[in-house]
Amino acid sequence: MKAIRKIVNSKAFITLVWITVIIIIWEICAARAAEVKRTPENVLPHLSGVIDSLTSDRKINGSQTALGMVLENAGATLSRAAVGYVIGIAAGFILALLMSLSGIIEKIAFPYLMLIQLIPILGMAPIINAITGDIAVSRIVIAAILTFYPVAANTLAGFKAVRREAHELMYSYAANKLQLYTKTMIPACIPYFFTGLKISAPMAITASILVDTLQGGIGLGCLLSQSLKGAMTRYVFWDIVFFSAVIGILSFYIMGLIETLLCPYKRLEKKGR
Amino acid sequence: MNVERIKNAEIMLDNVGMTYDATDGKKVQALTSVTMDIQKGEFISLLGPSGCGKTTLLRIIADLLQPTSGKVLIGGESPKEARLKRKYGMVFQSAVLYDWRTVIKNIELPLEIIHEGKAERRERAVKMLDLVGLSEFANHYPRQLSGGMQQRVGIARALALQPEILLMDEPFSALDEFTREKLHIDLLKIWRKTNKTIIFVTHNISESVFLSDRVCVLSPHPGRLSAVIDIDLPRPRTMEIRDTPEFTALVAKVRNSFEGV
Repeated sequence: MKAIRKIVNSKAFITLVWITVIIIIWEICAARAAEVKRTPENVLPHLSGVIDSLTSDRKINGSQTALGMVLENAGATLSRAAVGYVIGIAAGFILALLMSLSGIIEKIAFPYLMLIQLIPILGMAPIINAITGDIAVSRIVIAAILTFYPVAANTLAGFKAVRREAHELMYSYAANKLQLYTKTMIPACIPYFFTGLKISAPMAITASILVDTLQGGIGLGCLLSQSLKGAMTRYVFWDIVFFSAVIGILSFYIMGLIETLLCPYKRLEKKGR
Repeated sequence: MNVERIKNAEIMLDNVGMTYDATDGKKVQALTSVTMDIQKGEFISLLGPSGCGKTTLLRIIADLLQPTSGKVLIGGESPKEARLKRKYGMVFQSAVLYDWRTVIKNIELPLEIIHEGKAERRERAVKMLDLVGLSEFANHYPRQLSGGMQQRVGIARALALQPEILLMDEPFSALDEFTREKLHIDLLKIWRKTNKTIIFVTHNISESVFLSDRVCVLSPHPGRLSAVIDIDLPRPRTMEIRDTPEFTALVAKVRNSFEGV
């Protein structure tokens, strides 16, 4: 009994259940699509079809296999997303720091932050594209903008969560502002900062793909819209959906992993006392 | 104020009062005219129910609050000067340890603030940790320790800068009775070894009697000093002293000195 309970409570088991349920739901829907549609891959193909298309060595545009094509375009999209992500993190953290240092800056800046959050990316993208005049740059900018808000808001929440006693402790040591931040505020907000990173990593990737679709060139989104428009097999579209879902989830876990590596005390939390 | 008082007292409170502006525009008297002297090396308890101003008084001494009337002198200086000279060690109700630092690094924190060298820092922290009897836990993280152990680390950290005055704000009130009684004994040992002036805020009558040289009884509405009771129990004090009739009599005397609770 004990052994069974241990397995059921283990992380691997939970992940396994989670993946199995997704596959079952996908397959039920795909089976239904196959019944009612003449070309089911336009609605929802079976997973086996998607995997077949990824593993087959059939050249789909004369020179590349589906997998090779997806990987090449993914490289371009992901590197742009990564650059935007890093810029967004830096900007978000610095703004949170400024807002924490000055109440006036917080009051002025926060409505703008909310506003950025409210504008849909698809509305913002053409504007940014027109301003920057370069699609590659605007992709980076948009990934940065999307990263910016969760990082800034979470980091600020982290600064605010520092307890009054910790402030008083530093005050009793006659610590200066720099020491207050380097010794107390910044280390204390790291878990909150990482929450922001974990939320925004998949967002930056999704946004990059979405902005790709607006204009041609190289990128997962471009490939995606070509596939949708019938320029190549529809399975490329599904390959990309599959691939970006995996990357999005991975990015979340990679951030979690970095956090655990940086904060050894976090490991204790997971183990309990 | 006479010169003699200033010279002799480590902490001198002269007519100290604190008035807050309440939200409805009324003035709230948190503390009215507290006058007393605290000698160097004394163990003083500020005892009272919530709302009596005991924490307010501690915070005024610590330079965390400015009194609206009266004067506070710490060895002849203002609380601010005393704080800037790092004469205070603070211990709070919760230990306020930093999760991301090991026990030893937590104790080193104040020493980092004053730019103490790495070797000196470690040496002092090791000494402090030894003083509170937690040497073997130097490299543990705070979350791995029990509440009582965390509070000991808090005390070690407060002592690291070798302050003259230890300000303790209900430090043991979140602990269970057994741990608390053990920590009472330990605190008295530390106090005897280091010879600090301790101001100890509590709402626990027997705790204040057990620990203190003098118990300052504060009563609420408005917060005021209603009695100062000398505790002439012999030192060093042991657990058994709680069972003596003298102890019981003093507890009764303290309890009877409250007004308007």
